[in-house]
Amino acid sequence: MLPIESFSIYIMFCVLVPLAGAFTLLFLFVFEKRIDLLEKQKREIALERELQTALYNQLNQEIQPHFFFNTLNSILALARLDRKTELIRSIETLSKLLKFKYRTINNFISIEDELTYVNYYLEIQKTRFRDRLHYEIHLDNCVNKAIIIPFLIQTLVENAFKHAFERHIGEALLKIKIIKIESAIHVSVWNNSLENYETSPPDGGLGLENIKRRLELLFPDDETSVQLTDQEDGTAVLAIFPHVIMSEKLEGESMQ
Amino acid sequence: MKKTDFQYYIGGAFQLGIGFGVVSLLSRWVTGNTILSSPETIIKYGLTGGIGYSLMGALALILFGILAKKIRDRFHDQQTIGDVLRQRLTPLGYWFMISILLVISFHSIFVQAMGAGILLHMIFPLPVFSGMVFFLLFCFFIGGAGGIHRIHQLAGINVVLIFSAVIIIPVYFYIQEGVYPVYEGIKLYHPYILYVKNMEAIWFILTAILIGFGQVIIDRATWQRVFIIKKEKLRMTFTLAGLIWATIPLALSSLIMIIIFGRSYDSIYSLLFELIGKINSTLLIVLFVLFCFSAISSAISAELHAIVSLIIKNIVGMLRPLNNKEKWRFTYLFSGAICLLLLFIVSILPPSPIELLFFFGNIYASMIVPMLYIILGSKTLPALIPLASVIGTAGGFAALPIMENLLTIWISFSLSSFLCLGYFIYNLLRTKLTVKV
Repeated sequence: MLPIESFSIYIMFCVLVPLAGAFTLLFLFVFEKRIDLLEKQKREIALERELQTALYNQLNQEIQPHFFFNTLNSILALARLDRKTELIRSIETLSKLLKFKYRTINNFISIEDELTYVNYYLEIQKTRFRDRLHYEIHLDNCVNKAIIIPFLIQTLVENAFKHAFERHIGEALLKIKIIKIESAIHVSVWNNSLENYETSPPDGGLGLENIKRRLELLFPDDETSVQLTDQEDGTAVLAIFPHVIMSEKLEGESMQ
Repeated sequence: MKKTDFQYYIGGAFQLGIGFGVVSLLSRWVTGNTILSSPETIIKYGLTGGIGYSLMGALALILFGILAKKIRDRFHDQQTIGDVLRQRLTPLGYWFMISILLVISFHSIFVQAMGAGILLHMIFPLPVFSGMVFFLLFCFFIGGAGGIHRIHQLAGINVVLIFSAVIIIPVYFYIQEGVYPVYEGIKLYHPYILYVKNMEAIWFILTAILIGFGQVIIDRATWQRVFIIKKEKLRMTFTLAGLIWATIPLALSSLIMIIIFGRSYDSIYSLLFELIGKINSTLLIVLFVLFCFSAISSAISAELHAIVSLIIKNIVGMLRPLNNKEKWRFTYLFSGAICLLLLFIVSILPPSPIELLFFFGNIYASMIVPMLYIILGSKTLPALIPLASVIGTAGGFAALPIMENLLTIWISFSLSSFLCLGYFIYNLLRTKLTVKV
């Protein structure tokens, strides 16, 4: 049988635990928003740091002399041939591309915007590769306004040029596919090269790692993945992340 | 989203954080059952039983919290348990499961209403009918017609009242009486309560966890809350709700000691309400009555809201397409009809409590594995899975004359589990053979 001492402790426990419960609730009501805000700020700082790394990688990798000189040479060739319209278009596109690279400071942009800049890049590459390059962009109607981390598609496309098309002769085929499956967005960038470019470090692997980390930071509670696969007819990179509409994300952030 | 939109009635306009999520779950789960069953467990199984009862609720909510995250990940576009069942079951299985849910829902809301009836009978010298009219009218306006928005507006007040009562009243009494006289009184009149080394109590705790988890996993109102709490906060919300909920039966068990320490009792279920006779402060009587009413009314409102949502969205809405106006009209109609039915039954039946804790325990236990299969499985499931729960329940009830109550609940659980496991293995083998061929 329970002695009086234990009984007293039991009663004390029974009387005091609701008090602890009530305090917990009170604490949640007072501090929950602040804790959320701190967590959000911490995540944003990490995301910004990763974005800076991505920017650095981008500038370091792709605005590298050989891309820049090749582009300038193509532009020079256009000038010598007196193809004024194409010349103006090329300089304009290069300027817009550089502007995007230097000015992007947001942690997320819309897929529509990301694709605009990918198109600038592809346009420049088209002046270099001419008929060798064929590209297709397949986009689901509903994903235009969804968010994506900046430079995701851009990095994958640039990797394709760097590790595949610039190294090999022959046709350069590139397919970009952005589709919505259930509540996730699947971005795949396929090229017809059979060389696995993750085996050519450090920049290819570094780029994918950076994308992985940034996706995890932007969507901390959802599943994200970035996978490189060697297929029979080429190499593809598939990035999966949740479908979140730009306006919803901005609204959610302003509410917090 | 407009306030006149039916989606607003079911899920409200915004997602809840941990604080509001916990309050919403507490106002759903601190019910008439909590008030009526706590005395039963403490009398039947002693202090260990009291702790076990708290543990049951806490574990049930914590375990469901783990599932809740998965539910939200897999069925992110849904709003009710019915929506998920429609997605995962064949039409036959769906209608079968909806029928079981309706039976359980009506039983659950009826038990709550009976609790309110007993309370009214004990407090006011009026016929139960007149008190119940006001009480059910209140529930109709909050849960039936008001929707989740109105329920959440009152949830805060409910939780404040609940905690005020369970903190202030025991402190007041133990300061007034002291622990020693209570201990001596219990030792004299009810010494069995003080025996803690009691294997039966452990057996009871394990079974209670099974029933509690079964109750939560098919609770329509809790499922609705899974879809309105922020996804990243679901697990934490359910864990905290479980832990905070567990404090309430503990406080109630300390109140029971106050009531029974100087005498014996007639009915276990009305024990806690007899506290009113013991309290000599008007303020505390008002607080206690408000506590009981707010606990029962918030549970009935949440149940009513969940049943009506289920009926409109997953039964009537499936039979014929409804426009927004019709949905609202049916909402008023069905919630009014349910309240009238409750009023009718509670007024006719004598205000005596029914066996609460283990009544329907068989159904709850046999529902666990089929529901887990529905939530975690990957293919559309046939009617056999919901049927497994009915077979499990029937098996449990059939064993009732030859076995003790607790054991039949385990039989129900095992039967439905075996059936689900059998189907799982059969399905696995069939898939493998098909692949080989």
